[in-house]
Amino acid sequence: MNALITVMRKELLDIFRDKKTLYLSLFMGPILFPLLILGMGKLATNRISTQVEKPLELPVIGAENAPNLVNYLAGRNVVIKPAPKNPEGEIAAQNVDVILSIPDTYAKHWLKSEPAEITILHDSSRDDARIPVERLSTLLENYSRSTGALRLLSRGVSPTANLPVRIDHKDLATPESRIGQALAFLPYLLILTGFLGGAALVIDATAGERERQSLEPLLATPAGRGLIMSGKISAAASFGMLGLLLTLLSFKLSFMLAPGLGIKLSMSWLQVTQLLIVLVPIVLIGTCLLTAIAAGAKSVKEAQSYMSMLMMLPILPTIVLMVNPMKNQLWQFAVPFLAQNQMILKVVRSETILPMEWLVYLACGFGLGALLWFIAARRYHDEKLAISA
Amino acid sequence: MINVNDLHKSFKAKTGTVHAVQGVSFTAHDGEITGLLGPNGAGKTTCLRMLYTLMSPDSGSISIDGFSTETHSYEVRTRLGVLPDARGVYKRLTARENIAYFGRLHGMSDQLINERTERLVAALNMEEFIDRQCEGFSQGQRTKTAIARALIHDPKNVILDEPTNGLDVMTTRGLREFLLQLKAEGRCVIFSSHIMQEVAALCDRIVVIAHGKVMANGTPDEIRAQTGEANLEEAFVKVIGSEEGLHA
Repeated sequence: MNALITVMRKELLDIFRDKKTLYLSLFMGPILFPLLILGMGKLATNRISTQVEKPLELPVIGAENAPNLVNYLAGRNVVIKPAPKNPEGEIAAQNVDVILSIPDTYAKHWLKSEPAEITILHDSSRDDARIPVERLSTLLENYSRSTGALRLLSRGVSPTANLPVRIDHKDLATPESRIGQALAFLPYLLILTGFLGGAALVIDATAGERERQSLEPLLATPAGRGLIMSGKISAAASFGMLGLLLTLLSFKLSFMLAPGLGIKLSMSWLQVTQLLIVLVPIVLIGTCLLTAIAAGAKSVKEAQSYMSMLMMLPILPTIVLMVNPMKNQLWQFAVPFLAQNQMILKVVRSETILPMEWLVYLACGFGLGALLWFIAARRYHDEKLAISA
Repeated sequence: MINVNDLHKSFKAKTGTVHAVQGVSFTAHDGEITGLLGPNGAGKTTCLRMLYTLMSPDSGSISIDGFSTETHSYEVRTRLGVLPDARGVYKRLTARENIAYFGRLHGMSDQLINERTERLVAALNMEEFIDRQCEGFSQGQRTKTAIARALIHDPKNVILDEPTNGLDVMTTRGLREFLLQLKAEGRCVIFSSHIMQEVAALCDRIVVIAHGKVMANGTPDEIRAQTGEANLEEAFVKVIGSEEGLHA
């Protein structure tokens, strides 16, 4: 047991003297991730508010056919523009978002109180044209409805006769669950930080130590290989937890500053603690898996080439849930990465986590960690481990 | 005392099985320096790796002060001081921290580590660089650090794999005196070398290894008598069968 602590202390001392690696692996995340999330949130709210509030530029084909309608639009924050020569081409070239076309027959139908046809030209596959199109449709519907109501009134019919059903929406999203929406990427960033936060230390302490030829003398000491390995894993795991703590603190701090950016986010100390507990298993799984890989790899270079593949793993559940949203079910708390994803979302959205869910989550997480630890220990006892070149 | 009996070890390589050690036996006594002499690739390092339990032999047995490497590897490792072929030091730690790390892994107290370190620093002339980080150490400084950390726990048996490799003349001379001092303290010293002159100058007993087999085993006088050559160098050449790799 003493050997474990000795090895752990030495590995931590070693990495804390390696300033560049230390700064890169401890401070990159805490600085970049909040910028990423807040920056994206700011961009989204900016785009929506400018598109909703600024005057809508609308080229109209045949504006002379419906002067009243055009006046109605012009009085509601719409700037009427002359029609371009080639409307379809302009939409395809993304020069204009939306065009209104009023045919010659409009006045004839209007006077007979028949539905007068008008056409909105737009490209529904363009995401940034969505809001202008919605604005125009709403304006046109309102115009249509109020004119319809006036026509009914003039014929002595109550306008509500035309409204057999009125639909109201009651949004049950809590402010916290809306935060969850804004933070779709938070689970991935946290899982990735936990999973690979100790990577620099693990690879350096196993494959690197062998490459620098100091593993052979180390294994010739009376300290057991299992204890030496566990010491290195403990060092990497505590280093990974430190990285997570810094990341969470930086999130908390930037959320406190966020209202100035127009985003309402918060994270309580209880949530920070819960997130840290939720992430312990993934730190253990990551360091044990990397130790097993690094112990089997012939060089640091080989061990590092696994990294890009490992970075993909934590994003899988995020992608699956984006494409195919699922309800929370107990089995999900047993699947690595998916379980972390669900737990983090629950914590961030301030939902209650049932004791059974905690139990399944922690048992499966630590169980997998222990299994990987065992595999890594087996590989550490391999005769070839110490021999470089 | 180290007893080696009929060791065999083979490795699987791409080109087929390599039988690196084929029946090596010898005894190294306390208060003597035993030299393992042989050309590069003769199987010396593999032999030594089995001695300090990094590898286990396919067959044969080793005992260190009566403890078998197979059944009592912990006791064996506490009784051995090892300078392996690989002598990397932790470059972000000072020489003193490198030595203390190994002392702690041997379960020593900090006070004992300090006392032993001072003795080794004096014996190996390490005063100048003991508190410097090992980044940028010369080959000699690295080797001295590696030797000091191997001997921090005051082991009765000392195994050194090619200790003078890459060292300059003055450092080599210093190291030779250090080995004689270890012998005078009654330790059992084994060191391997491919340099004939070095083995001849230091060893009480010489084990000549080539192609994984012991070609000759005895005191320098015995080897001279065995081969009928008055000159030790000629005797070696006769024993090994070629002059390959016997010179530095």
